[in-house]
Amino acid sequence: MKPSLNHAAIKNKRSFFQWFKYKWSSDPLFSIAIALIIMIILQTLVLGFDYDSFGSWFQAWINNWINILRNNAATAIVALGMTFVIMTGGIDLAVGSTLVVTGALSMMLLDTGTKGFLLAMGITGVPAFAITILVVLLFGYLLGSLIGVSITKGKVPPFIATLGAMMIFRSVTQHFMQGYNPKVPTEFLQIASFKIGSFMIMPIVYWAIIAFILYYVSKRTTFGRQIIAVGSNERAAKLSGILVEKVKLRVYALMGLLVSIAAIIQVSRIGSMDFSNAGRGMEMDAIAAAVVGGTNMMGGRGFILGTVYGMLIIAVMNNLLNLFGVPPFLREAFKGVIVIAAVLLQKKERTS
Amino acid sequence: MIEMRNIKKSFGNNDVIKDVSFTIKSGEICALLGENGAGKSTLMNILGGIHQMDSGAILVNGKEAAFHTPKQSQEAGIAFIHQELNLINDLPIYENMFLGRELKTKRGSLDLERMQQETEKIFKQMNVNLDPAIMVRELDASYKQIVEICRAMMTNASFIIMDEPTTSLTDQEIERVFKMMKTLSEHDVGIIFISHKLNEVMQICDRYIVLRDGNLVAEGNVHEVNTNDLARFMVGHDVRTEPLNREKKIGREILRVEGLSNSPFFRNISFSIKEGEIVGFTGLLGDGRSELFQSIFGAEKISSGKIYLNDKEVKVTSTQQAIKEGIAYLPRNRKENAIIKDMDIIENASIVTWSAFSKNGTINRKKHEEVFEEQRKALRIKMGELTDSITSLSGGNQQKVILAKWLAAKPKLLILDNPTQGVDVGAKEDIYDIILKLAEENIAIIVLSSEANEIIRLCDRAHVMYHGVIQGEVAYEEMSEHSIMQLSTGGQLTIAKEG
Repeated sequence: MKPSLNHAAIKNKRSFFQWFKYKWSSDPLFSIAIALIIMIILQTLVLGFDYDSFGSWFQAWINNWINILRNNAATAIVALGMTFVIMTGGIDLAVGSTLVVTGALSMMLLDTGTKGFLLAMGITGVPAFAITILVVLLFGYLLGSLIGVSITKGKVPPFIATLGAMMIFRSVTQHFMQGYNPKVPTEFLQIASFKIGSFMIMPIVYWAIIAFILYYVSKRTTFGRQIIAVGSNERAAKLSGILVEKVKLRVYALMGLLVSIAAIIQVSRIGSMDFSNAGRGMEMDAIAAAVVGGTNMMGGRGFILGTVYGMLIIAVMNNLLNLFGVPPFLREAFKGVIVIAAVLLQKKERTS
Repeated sequence: MIEMRNIKKSFGNNDVIKDVSFTIKSGEICALLGENGAGKSTLMNILGGIHQMDSGAILVNGKEAAFHTPKQSQEAGIAFIHQELNLINDLPIYENMFLGRELKTKRGSLDLERMQQETEKIFKQMNVNLDPAIMVRELDASYKQIVEICRAMMTNASFIIMDEPTTSLTDQEIERVFKMMKTLSEHDVGIIFISHKLNEVMQICDRYIVLRDGNLVAEGNVHEVNTNDLARFMVGHDVRTEPLNREKKIGREILRVEGLSNSPFFRNISFSIKEGEIVGFTGLLGDGRSELFQSIFGAEKISSGKIYLNDKEVKVTSTQQAIKEGIAYLPRNRKENAIIKDMDIIENASIVTWSAFSKNGTINRKKHEEVFEEQRKALRIKMGELTDSITSLSGGNQQKVILAKWLAAKPKLLILDNPTQGVDVGAKEDIYDIILKLAEENIAIIVLSSEANEIIRLCDRAHVMYHGVIQGEVAYEEMSEHSIMQLSTGGQLTIAKEG
């Protein structure tokens, strides 16, 4: 009797290990999720978890989380669009500059000063907000489409097309916004700072909704699957009746749309925007989140959920470094290590 | 002399080479024959130092040699000329000749003059009439082949492995390469010639070795056998060559093409096809038939000419439109043109019908699974789960999945470009059966193939293309390997039609 029991125990133990190993090598999101869990445990410990003061610890923990998520919501939304772009085998370097253009446009429309566009037309309050949002989203979509057209019809490589757009958008914005400081009506700030209960979590809600929609799109819709087909084997996709150019165009347009949403969130959070610095490096943060989340830079493979994880890993790590008191200039180095480590881990999966 | 003794090699559970021994002498041209997957390339990769054998020995001139890297193999005097040539198009010939072992001056910069002179010297020695300064891009495929051979000679190679060197060459170019091979053999260089073209083997080789399923099944002198013998050695039984029969119900015309051109790929193409017909298009590689049908399918441009579907003129501007018009195109080179490796089996099998079956843009997975289940039975696809990666399947089953995705679209006109490429014998017969069944169901079928045998067995009639034009048409009893070969090399049918 005894030996068989022992045997069963060993078998059980081994099967967990085997399960872990199997998941590790077969499920690309598994290692990312593990990394995220480790980060979260670390963060929990650093915040001084103990039973006696559970209430106050929990308060601090929740507040810390809300801060992390809210501060990263805009970039996180952009990263979701970036995932699609990279999945088609492309890249979008222009997101930071698109953010500034669309942000500037929203502020010009909303301005309560003498130059205020909508005010001059006698539109104020909620209708003005609605028009602003609509126009800004449309404009973002248009800018994205423009980039998409130059890539698909003009055959300009995505890197070059978006590099050019990055320079043009910011430069033009800075020129036209010189010495002009539009004032955004305080009611507009409710978009980001409206409180649910006692929590200011609207940006997080937007992020969650968009992530959910895009997750569905990527898993269940023709458009979402066509993105994978185009990125994985463009020729085969074309020969299977997929309008490759249309798919790419729509991906860049969607990217523009998401950036304009991010811009509205940014503007409504602080009521202003620094046109020379806002969104600088946003493209790199978005790419980093997507890559850490398992998106293949060569196209074809990518996960919306992975990008959410990736964004969280980078954000929690930033927060940890802050809590540990790591000097600010060194933090970027840790981000770099995480990005490279993530790709190294995934490379192992691909070849096994 | 090279001797390979009791070579064994397996990848995982798959025994690719099971105890193979053979010898190649200097100055000998030896054909290495075998079907796809017989183990030819694995064996040669072992000799070239690319793969390691599990057991066995390689002896070079009687001395045992260890080949752990390609470099060791090269140093032992073995040169491997791969099917995909290792030349840099944007460098001149002489720099290509010294790729990786460039000559340098004392100062460490490239010694271009000396490289050029050395190249000229070897060209003279090998009777090659080429200017070393021209860019490799300018060369045709045969001269590229020759440059590679000369490069091998420069490293004092005493044995050269040539992996299907003639597949992409015209007859004239093949002659050029053969002449080169003769010169090499006169210089006492041993050549291992991998080829599927048995006629070429008869023409150029002294000896033959045949591999089947990782075993050496036959070897001997070429002049003692004929092509039928060689084919039988390769397949293991007599090759079925008789035309396949089916119930023919030829209906109305589906497709008519008039004066279609897209220079330089194809020019002035006119033909038509009716319901239930199987029409072949054949010719040598680079004859333009793939480009022609990709254009008809809307994947490439057309510069002039007209396409009529069901007697109505259509302008096909996208593959999506072609599918809506009832055209299906199964492309050649499955890996590059058809397989989407990041997607699973069911997705690869349903990609064509995603939009057709979708509701508000959401993919109707259930419907796809139902349709595919039917196809899977009919096509006898051997597979695991629907969600397994497409790359987990064998070549034949992959091809069947790709065929299934097209059948799901219920086409009126099915264009099959090299449908049995990289498919084993069993799956090949399966695919033939399916094609015949589809024709009986009144689908018009066009088969593109460079295998004359395939065309003869499957098709009612065939158009033979040569350099972008239809050189001639053969039908029923006129269809023979001889007549097809004659047309595909630019000749005319010599046997006049009588009665």
